Amino acid sequence: MYRALAAAAVIVVLAALPLYLESFWLQTALFAMAAMIAAIGLSLLVGIAGQLSLGHAFFVAIGAYGYAYLATRIPPPLALLAAVALAGLAGALFSPISGRVRGIYLGLASLGLVFLGQHILQNATGITGGYEGVAVEPFDLFGFTFDGSGDLSVFGVPYGQLEKLWYLGVVLVAVAIWYGRNLVRSRPGRALATLRDSEVAAEVMGVDVVRYKAAAFTVSSMYAGLGGVLMALAFGRIVPESFGFLLSVDLLVMIVIGGAGSVGGAAAGALFVTALPLVLNHYSGSLPLLAEPGTGGIGAAEFSRFIYGAAIVAVLLFARGGLAGLAARARKERVA
Amino acid sequence: MNQFVTLLIGGLFLGAIYSLVALGFVTIFRATGVINFAQGSMLLLGAYVIGRTHESLGFPLAVALGIVVAAAAAALVDIVLIRRVRSADLGTLAILTLGVDILLLTELTRRIGTDVISIGAPWGNGVVEVAGIRVATSRVIAGGVALALVTALAAAFKFTDWGVAMRSAAEDGETASLMGIRLNRTAAAAWALAGALAAVGGLFLTSFPAAGVTGTAGLVALAAIPAVVLGGFDSPAGAVVGGLLIGIVSVLTAGYQEELSFLGRGLGAVAPFAVMLLVLLVRPSGLFGTREITRV
Amino acid sequence: MRSLLVVIALALAVAACGKAEDNDTGKAAEGSVKTGPGTTADTITLGYLPDLSGVFAPNGKSMMEGANLYWKAKNDAGGICGRRVEVSVQDTGYDPQKAVAAYRQMSGDVVGLGLVLGSSIVSALLPSVESDGMFLNFAGWTSDILPAKNVAIAGTTYDIEAINAVSFLMAEHGVKSGDTIGHVYFEGDYGENALKGSKFAADKHGLKILEQKITPADQDMTGQVSAFKKAGVKAILFSAAPPQAASLAGVAAAQKLDVPIVANGPGWTPQLLTTPAADALEANYYVVSSMAPLSVQSEGVQEFLSAYEQEYPKGTPSSNGSLYAYAGAQIADGALTKACENKDLTRQGVLDALRSLDSLDTGGTIAGTLDFTDPSRPPGTLVYTARVSKDAPGGLEAIGEPASSPDVEGYEF
Repeated sequence: MYRALAAAAVIVVLAALPLYLESFWLQTALFAMAAMIAAIGLSLLVGIAGQLSLGHAFFVAIGAYGYAYLATRIPPPLALLAAVALAGLAGALFSPISGRVRGIYLGLASLGLVFLGQHILQNATGITGGYEGVAVEPFDLFGFTFDGSGDLSVFGVPYGQLEKLWYLGVVLVAVAIWYGRNLVRSRPGRALATLRDSEVAAEVMGVDVVRYKAAAFTVSSMYAGLGGVLMALAFGRIVPESFGFLLSVDLLVMIVIGGAGSVGGAAAGALFVTALPLVLNHYSGSLPLLAEPGTGGIGAAEFSRFIYGAAIVAVLLFARGGLAGLAARARKERVA
Repeated sequence: MNQFVTLLIGGLFLGAIYSLVALGFVTIFRATGVINFAQGSMLLLGAYVIGRTHESLGFPLAVALGIVVAAAAAALVDIVLIRRVRSADLGTLAILTLGVDILLLTELTRRIGTDVISIGAPWGNGVVEVAGIRVATSRVIAGGVALALVTALAAAFKFTDWGVAMRSAAEDGETASLMGIRLNRTAAAAWALAGALAAVGGLFLTSFPAAGVTGTAGLVALAAIPAVVLGGFDSPAGAVVGGLLIGIVSVLTAGYQEELSFLGRGLGAVAPFAVMLLVLLVRPSGLFGTREITRV
Repeated sequence: MRSLLVVIALALAVAACGKAEDNDTGKAAEGSVKTGPGTTADTITLGYLPDLSGVFAPNGKSMMEGANLYWKAKNDAGGICGRRVEVSVQDTGYDPQKAVAAYRQMSGDVVGLGLVLGSSIVSALLPSVESDGMFLNFAGWTSDILPAKNVAIAGTTYDIEAINAVSFLMAEHGVKSGDTIGHVYFEGDYGENALKGSKFAADKHGLKILEQKITPADQDMTGQVSAFKKAGVKAILFSAAPPQAASLAGVAAAQKLDVPIVANGPGWTPQLLTTPAADALEANYYVVSSMAPLSVQSEGVQEFLSAYEQEYPKGTPSSNGSLYAYAGAQIADGALTKACENKDLTRQGVLDALRSLDSLDTGGTIAGTLDFTDPSRPPGTLVYTARVSKDAPGGLEAIGEPASSPDVEGYEF
């Protein structure tokens, strides 16, 4: 009973938020949601399957550019599914390397993917538009277009592109979390966890190591692709710079802060990492000690980089399980 | 033909510098099992100190200071941060160094700004000419220094007490500690050494033919990563070979950009990583890395 | 699930309550001038979106110096239309994501964007800027952005600079039909736009271009010079940044490739004279740009320099940083003043006023006069050509008066 009430409350709140949030917060939220989806995928790969990957940004790019390319040719919902499938396919194609290469070598090999991706994005100008990037077709579901057209008004509040995309984002994040949770608890999930702890033991138990590693990469790449699609929609126009090494690092940091292996933690970490610099920027005027942009000294932007770096160090030194670990500890303490 | 040889020699000398940076990575990995993503910012730190102090202290003293500062910073990272979480897994430790890298880089780039800080090397933009091939003096000196350092390190690892301690700590920490080897000290020493190597690498990477210390100079350490990976993470020999290989690949792809243009332009950045991926396909633990053989 | 609930509750607590209604659309009459978002009876607010923490942070900070300089003086002299000009700054970190969020934050309160740094940033913002109907001063000189009726460029574009560079080389340095010219250029809008111009000029004059694409991470130009030497280039065009310039000039001198190097505006900073390549630069380096070298004895430039020295005694003025933003402010000033004359300080009014300017004179900070009436062409066509000189302020000494190559006539954007 309590759970049903709580769930209902959450749904009502989520549905009502666009009535209250200004466009800055909606935009930030959309970026955070895209990051959440990608981060959950990475969390599954790193935390559950134990495969270190620095190349996640590559698969996010495939999802984003795949959607941008296809959405002008086939209906956007199909383009979304196709982009996700494309990203998953790319993840599967990486398996000759992911299957044979282990540990740190795998992490750095996947880093190579990011640079390869940047090279392709900049040079294959016919498909990717090169450095100029591509415009992204607004999402369209059975004639309802998720952009500023149509003059939709809910309770007196005009609903534009951001408000409409909010709902799409919430649905996609919910699906991502639900599927991730189920995967962790299922038999394949347990097989992956065994794989992480000891590949030898897993093999002995009859787990086909190579196949499962490939599957782990495929699933996490699909998550990355979906995150990429939402990111493309949130931007309206995508450029190669957004999908480089920095994004891969950001995603890893998200799951470290959130707690690798935890789906909810990945989401929380994504929210923190995405929102922090934007929020600090927003309030930089009223924070003391920070220099106004344009004067010397440490401005809001540098300050947020410092906090970012310090947060990584602090979490890893003192709260290894990330936010999820802290939450779990808090729960245990309450029960005891 | 002349162009090919010039490029090859140039690539070899550049590769010597990469080897130094790669050696730093490998030293830390062998001693403490950490991939130090902060190597790039330590490189920049060393170069920055030299660049800012060579006018007041003179070049030799400035270099000494730069090396000491970088070594101290690296050792500090180990003592203050890594030591607390020695038992953590690979990914955690690597990301920890990433955090340090972000902190250090943000501060350094803030201080450097748009400046192009000259490194003040006495060999300036001199050139050495042998048999029609011209190589920058700074590169020749870099090659010489790299050779000397690598030989010295190899000898030290083999013959000195400290070297033996390093190797046994890397091989089996528990037994080594039981035999009286101070693991913490060995680790800190390894980090300090890596910091020093980074500073020397930074010195040569910001000398002619590069312009000087700029905000983007730290990115070069990223290029050393393919060198370490394809050489094998726990092999000093691999670091050297990998560094040389990556140096050659970088220079050749830049020099033959026109001929290679069908692969797209700007190959210089991606070619080292492409080579790395190819090597990993054939030898999943790098050229000289310890092969994990598990038969189930 | 519960952790997510906590997170959402926190987010709600921080969010503003209630939605800000965007209902101030052209309120009539404060006095007799129409106002809109960004304008009140006492103030006009311009939005500034530089990069203050990312790759171009140093340029961004320098730009803000120039902008603040101009508006402070203007406000002290009475402002525009009896109103103070306020500057609302947000850092983009050269990250399109941050830029879009920052824009959303400020867009409701500004009448236009006084400065946006980075073509990928402008690309990301353009859809919203166009639907919000405001003008945008682009801190960049690429013609890829054209036609864009909301965007103002401060002078002419990189491709035009390159065409002028080729003409300069042919007229003054003996480059003739059949020769090969090398072109070192950055990946991205800056370099590739310049390449477009150089290829056009090369086609026209029967020259061959040997391309060398690089990225900001490339600090060593040995490979590039080697390729140029093998091909026997008679000159080199340069569309990258100062670190690469020093390397290029130094390596070329070392490899005895003694040819002129002509760069676009962003390819110079006075600090290059402290590097080992200084002599090589003084011998062979030239800059072609519509932004004035700081040594030019024109009214606008001298005014800028004396104001700068007073306000920032420890700083270093730069043509592409502080001087650019100063010039951008001059453009915004021109548009706002005209809009005031038209009694319409709404966003559309200011944009229309901008587009009606056909001969804006910046006192020499930008070469020639600017004509904004055709959104499909850059407002300027003249460029300064300068050589490197250790004694000149800013390190560059202009050669002759601003001019334009006749080749530009037939060029299509």
